[in-house]
Amino acid sequence: MTADLTAVAGAELATDQLATERLAARATAPAPRPKARAGPLEWILIHLTFLVVSVFFLVPFVWLLSAAFDAKATAYIQFPVEPTIMNFVRIFTEHDFGRVLVNSVFVAVATMILVVATVALAGYSLSRLDLRRKDWITYAVLLLQTMPISATMVPIYGLARQLGLRNSYLGLILIHAAIELPFLIWLMKGFFDSIPRHLEEAAWLDGRSKLRALVEIVLPLARPGLGIAAGLAFLSAWAEVLMVVILIDQDSLKTVPLAFYEAMRTQGGYVEVQYGVIAAMAVIYLLPVMVVFFAARRLMVRGLMSSTRGL
Amino acid sequence: MADVEFDEVWKQFASQTAAAVKGLSLAIPDHELLVLLGPSGCGKTTALRMLAGLEEPDSGDIRIGAKSVVGLEPKDRDVALVFQSYALYPHLSAHDNIGYPLKVRKLSKADQEAKVQRVAKMLGIGHLLPRRPGQLSGGEQQRVALARAIVREPRVFLMDEPLSNLDAKLRVHTRTELKTLQRELGTTMVFVTHDQAEAMSLANRIAVLNAGELQQIGTPDEVYNDPANLFVAEFIGSPPMNLLEATRDGDSVVTAGGWRIPAPRERAVAGSGTVAAPAGSGGAVTVGLRPEGIAVVQPVQDAQDGVQPAAVVAVEPLGSEVIVDVQVGGQSLKIRAAPDVRPESGSMIGLRADPTAVRLFDRATGLAIH
Repeated sequence: MTADLTAVAGAELATDQLATERLAARATAPAPRPKARAGPLEWILIHLTFLVVSVFFLVPFVWLLSAAFDAKATAYIQFPVEPTIMNFVRIFTEHDFGRVLVNSVFVAVATMILVVATVALAGYSLSRLDLRRKDWITYAVLLLQTMPISATMVPIYGLARQLGLRNSYLGLILIHAAIELPFLIWLMKGFFDSIPRHLEEAAWLDGRSKLRALVEIVLPLARPGLGIAAGLAFLSAWAEVLMVVILIDQDSLKTVPLAFYEAMRTQGGYVEVQYGVIAAMAVIYLLPVMVVFFAARRLMVRGLMSSTRGL
Repeated sequence: MADVEFDEVWKQFASQTAAAVKGLSLAIPDHELLVLLGPSGCGKTTALRMLAGLEEPDSGDIRIGAKSVVGLEPKDRDVALVFQSYALYPHLSAHDNIGYPLKVRKLSKADQEAKVQRVAKMLGIGHLLPRRPGQLSGGEQQRVALARAIVREPRVFLMDEPLSNLDAKLRVHTRTELKTLQRELGTTMVFVTHDQAEAMSLANRIAVLNAGELQQIGTPDEVYNDPANLFVAEFIGSPPMNLLEATRDGDSVVTAGGWRIPAPRERAVAGSGTVAAPAGSGGAVTVGLRPEGIAVVQPVQDAQDGVQPAAVVAVEPLGSEVIVDVQVGGQSLKIRAAPDVRPESGSMIGLRADPTAVRLFDRATGLAIH
């Protein structure tokens, strides 16, 4: 399996323009193993396993799609007798979902921009600069990644209150970025490690300052890494629930997770849970994720493959 | 264009126990092509990188055009460096790679274009301009890297083993071109290599380094004919100089096998960077004889004066010459002979040393005795 992955990485890199890297990758990639032909029993077992796993993951999506187009949706999978788009109309008319979406997009995009700018500089610093105790800093960053975020929930709430960051996008953006930074800094460090130092040295000698050389020469070469950092930061901020629930309770600032939360509330049993509405929201909530994934999937595979080489 | 000076430059890397460059002093006059030659790890690349501003010396001074450049950013030194890996920007076309230093200097678009085209024509790479580095062969990349260095007309060219990634044939060809180019441009050039043949063919002068220390500086002829010490003697020349352990005996030296060789008269040596050891009156010396400084005499005549019988170990015909491996008193020698000299392996031949080719070294210090 590992050999196959390395071969894939090699093939992916063949499209890369880094000629030297490409040659290096080819040199280190082991020759693809001849594939052993599976016996019929093996074939059935493998496909059966895949089938079970796929069904397991697909069932919730089947429910989502069927419920979203069903005015009388329940918590069980039942295909709509009369398919309707009423649920979608209702979320925009009764639940102000348009505004909620805009809020979510704003927070996610802003988080993405902040994260990309930060990891580009932090990753480069850890890869290139001669810092005292650099290994300590590097591992401290990794340690942060291992901390469960829920453990810090209470202090984060207190801190946000004192700093006036409750019910503020700035607070949400900062905390979303902070959650994603440790892993992505490591990812970018790996990317910068794989870019030959000679390239920026050449730019310095050509007359560029260190910062301009970073922007003009190094960052364009780190584009796959920045792409994956941007994608992951957007998706993570888009999907994050806990911090939104803690920090936001103003209706006008609501993001999608909060809208879900409200649609789930039954107000002490007086109101039925509106499964159709939730499903319709979820379908729309999934769309940007799909778009980002399909737009960036090649980049992400390439990014993840090549980043592991630098670590 | 400018002269370059290293003045007692020291550099130690934190990760290493020994200093990379130890008190290097070198003066390179304007227009000169100086080759820094030495085995890997001898400090030649470090010296070059300090000149470029990519490393800072711990102590000492580096001057370009009589002005100290220590502490100056690479961008402010006006030197161009061609890297061993070429370091072309992979995301830019050959044209934009060459034009990059001009863009940095904010030349007008028209000026940039004119200069890029002129240099491309000079190096015969006009047809490669639209391509990216990934679409170029090693030799083509090398030319683009060279063009990028030339186009900005720097004060000094620095070359860090720029030919070592080319195949043998192209390397020799490019070597000749580079030498012609440097002469035409007249720009001072510092060229780093570990290949002594490359150094010999390119250099106005060669500076031989070992373990961070300058061993000798001189013209190719000087370092070849009058190596300052045993290291230079062994490093320069292919096959290298034959070194035989011997003892002094009056006007001659006698090697282990009883070969009596007339000791050279005292000679003045120009360009030597080290102080010659005083000629000891007796004791252990090492005799240095270039492979072409020994003549093969056939057949062996016992009575002949100065002719030493030797057993042939192997014969290597190289076309234009033959290398004969022989043994004298348990020591191996290589002799460069005419192509028609083909002694049988295992047979005996006679050797006669050319008196003008004999060099003596102090065995204790390794320094040449003049």
